[in-house]
Amino acid sequence: MTLESDRSGVFLAMPATVYVGLLVAAPLGVLVMYSFWTQTYVDIDRTFTWENYRAAFSDPLVRQLLVRSVWMAGLVTLLTVLLAYPIAYFVAFRARRKMLWLLLITIPFWISYLLRVFAWKLILGFNGLLNSGLASLGLINEPLDFLLYNELAVIITLAHAWAPFAILPIYVSLQKIDRSLLEAATDLGCGKLGRFLRVTLPLTVPGIIASCLIIFIPTVGDYVTPALVGGSDGKMVANLIQVYFGSANNWPLGATLSLMTMVSVGAVAISFVALVRGAGKAIR
Amino acid sequence: MTGNTIIELIDVEKHFRSFVALSNFSLDLKEGEFFSLVGPSGCGKTTALRIIAGFQEPTSGVIRIGGQDMRAIPANRRPTNMVFQSYAIFPHLNVADNVGFGLAKSGLSRAERKQRIGEALEMVALDGLQRRNAHELSGGQRQRVALARALVMRPKVLLLDEPLSALDKNMRESMQFELRRLQQSIGITFVMVTHDQYEAMTMSDRIGVMFDGRLEQVDAPSALYAFPANPKVASFIGGMNFLPATLLNERNATLSIEIAGLGSLDIGMNPGVTRHERDLLVGLRPEQLYIGRDAPTDYDVTAQGTVTDIAFYGESVRYHVQINGVPEPVSVSVPNYFHTVDFKRGDAVWIAAQGASVIDLGTRSDNEPTKQERKV
Ligand SMILES: Nc1ncnc2c1ncn2[C@@H]1O[C@H](COP(=O)(O)OP(=O)(O)O)[C@@H](O)[C@H]1O
Ligand SMILES: [Mg+2]
Repeated sequence: MTLESDRSGVFLAMPATVYVGLLVAAPLGVLVMYSFWTQTYVDIDRTFTWENYRAAFSDPLVRQLLVRSVWMAGLVTLLTVLLAYPIAYFVAFRARRKMLWLLLITIPFWISYLLRVFAWKLILGFNGLLNSGLASLGLINEPLDFLLYNELAVIITLAHAWAPFAILPIYVSLQKIDRSLLEAATDLGCGKLGRFLRVTLPLTVPGIIASCLIIFIPTVGDYVTPALVGGSDGKMVANLIQVYFGSANNWPLGATLSLMTMVSVGAVAISFVALVRGAGKAIR
Repeated sequence: MTGNTIIELIDVEKHFRSFVALSNFSLDLKEGEFFSLVGPSGCGKTTALRIIAGFQEPTSGVIRIGGQDMRAIPANRRPTNMVFQSYAIFPHLNVADNVGFGLAKSGLSRAERKQRIGEALEMVALDGLQRRNAHELSGGQRQRVALARALVMRPKVLLLDEPLSALDKNMRESMQFELRRLQQSIGITFVMVTHDQYEAMTMSDRIGVMFDGRLEQVDAPSALYAFPANPKVASFIGGMNFLPATLLNERNATLSIEIAGLGSLDIGMNPGVTRHERDLLVGLRPEQLYIGRDAPTDYDVTAQGTVTDIAFYGESVRYHVQINGVPEPVSVSVPNYFHTVDFKRGDAVWIAAQGASVIDLGTRSDNEPTKQERKV
């Protein structure tokens, strides 16, 4: 490499550097700084302290919300990927008009996320579509009240909202599989199930991991859905963070919670990937 | 070496909607033979192989393997194994796991499987590479893994779809010998598909020549060369000059004919064609013609002509010679033997042929060769 190309390399990396610097590193730095400061009514006390972390760790509500957020995001991820896989499989292997199907799958994106959450509220509500439908069929006398304002409602709404994000990576990894590999498996005596478990599934692991991460990471921090359909049982850690940054006006504690959430998400994600990799090696 | 019938295809047809990929396809394959299906690209060779393997169902017709009707038997339970054109090596498995893939349900113990995998890899000279990953293999090694993976199953019939076409020329030639040697040492039936007639000729006990979904002729390589059933086969297996001739007399297995521009001579009768008119078509192999500055004395027919074109092939030289009374230039191929032949364009030369090397192709109007086939 010559000096000349070194210099042009720096220039080429400029936009990315500026972007990452301003939009990722800087806000993160601010967040880290705030987490070591203290809120004193309307002012910020800028002396370094671990007090926020101590407070957050000793607060049972924080622990409960964090665990519940990770747990619910995990359930949403599992549910979404389980539902997405057969759909992606159908589009990749069975469907004639793949483009049309892919277009249909993205239809939920054509309306705002907020509206989709509201739509679920209308469907699951006390006088909602589901209850009135079941009632008019005579299947129930009283409206079901376990549908809305709880964890279940949050999980259903999130699973629906994130479905396309799960379907597309899995679809791509299925689509990439050389069809002669499947024929080779058949030729070597595999039935349909054996072929799926020994060839198709292992070859789509990267797509599954991508789907899981794409869904898990943002859903842990989601606060719109729990706020609208979660009731008091369905609240997640992001709702608490929102309160600290908003009405409670305690940015340092909010920043601390944000960072703790980030670290938890990162830890769970990394262990998940390591686990899947390890399992893959062990099966061989 | 060859014995009982192992595969029977009877009147197999395969249609893709209105497109006929195989028609009237009947074939008997013998135990222990090396059989090749050869024909131009798109003529239906792969389709025929896939129907035997069970990846495609015939539109109609019967397939038997070892006497058993295969129509209700799915691909995973047929006694055949396939070497795919793309090799289809499982990318998530190493060499040993690729080769052992089909042994999972064999009921063999771990140690026995390991043993079988080792033996199969030894057969293809890859022993020791068990732990290599699929993506660390060269093209030739991938091909051997594919071969070992199929052979480890001990199939009655091994199907090979253009197994050598992805290899470079030198590798391909050494693999031709190796495949042949392997087939002879294990003694199972190999059915190979190739578009390369020379590959088919060097490796096979018998060859089936296909055009447009039809099996035109099935025979040993030497018989295909000597008695092609029609001009298509004649020009696909080696080069060929097609010349019009007139039938003068026919007795026993000998035809007396007159080739326009060359003269009259006696040739052997081709049992695979029919003669119901006096106008015949005959074929002359470029490598079986004499070319020289002087008229030879011991040939059946001789004629004088002019060199119009020269093509240098290294091991041989090909001359196009225009002869009075012959519609098109005759192609003559001469081994490049001590550089003794060296004619220039425009040179006057003598051409000569023996009756024994002229091929009877039957009545001319039955099989007017197309423009493309006329080219040698
Ligand atoms: N699944 C299919 N659907 C439609 N046409 C096909 C299919 N498979 C093969 N064909 C057609 O059948 C013909 C023969 O194909 P193939 O057997 O692959 O030829 P070859 O192996 O001799 O080159 C080709 O014209 C090909 O386009
Ligand atoms: Mg083919």
